[in-house]
Amino acid sequence: MDQDDELARRAAAGDAAAFTALVRRHEGAVRRFLGRLVRGDGADDLAQDVFVKAWRCAGDWRGEGSYRGWLLRIAWTVFLGSHRVKGRQARRDQMAFEQASAGSSDPGTTIDLSRALAMLDQRERAAALLCFGEGYSHSEAAQIMEIPLGTLKTIVARARTALAAHLEMGS
Amino acid sequence: MTDEDRHIDARLVALFTAPELTPDETFVARVERVLLAERKIARARQAAWRRFGVESLASASIVTTFYLLWRLSPELALDTMPIAPAAAAVLVLFLWFGVELRPAARS
Repeated sequence: MDQDDELARRAAAGDAAAFTALVRRHEGAVRRFLGRLVRGDGADDLAQDVFVKAWRCAGDWRGEGSYRGWLLRIAWTVFLGSHRVKGRQARRDQMAFEQASAGSSDPGTTIDLSRALAMLDQRERAAALLCFGEGYSHSEAAQIMEIPLGTLKTIVARARTALAAHLEMGS
Repeated sequence: MTDEDRHIDARLVALFTAPELTPDETFVARVERVLLAERKIARARQAAWRRFGVESLASASIVTTFYLLWRLSPELALDTMPIAPAAAAVLVLFLWFGVELRPAARS
């Protein structure tokens, strides 16, 4: 992450090449997060908006937490501000599902992760993606989603219960 | 958090975690193009504001100058000029804008 710090400092000073390097390092995570949130529909457009916003606000980054976390916070804000989700619930992001399945350490489990995510509301989905998919702690995820820690824990618990029920993970 | 919750969390992490893929250069290039356009627009906007500021200042200076001339000796102005100084200032401004806004000046 030291490299991110250095690149972010240069980007804040107007270094476009440094910002491109940051885009290259984090576009996968941002697109994956947004792709799973919106289930693929317009995720790349939103990701583009995220990076444009990050460039405009490059000077606002204070080095608190990871740069990827900061980008995901912008992504969450951009997602909430978009109206692209409405009326498009039926479409599914097969790529996100395939990527998620590819990372699975339990290949025997045949589940529709995409469908399971679709059962959750936006906040539950985002919290689950951040905590289970991106490996953030509850406090980091709460900062990214700009909600109190207790609220985040409640949301994660709800998401866990819903996912476990849908994926038949219970005891 | 119970042991069962931890077990479920571990399985969810395994399901959700995706491998880090190599950067998608097409997407990177797309963002680069957008940012390049963004920087050009920002530069053009900055130049336009600067120009607007300079021209507003110049306009205000001309109007103020004619107004002060009129305040200093209104009789003289009326005797020697066929139109009021303020109207002359407006005419000068129109002339200026006419020169500035002609197609050749804008290109």
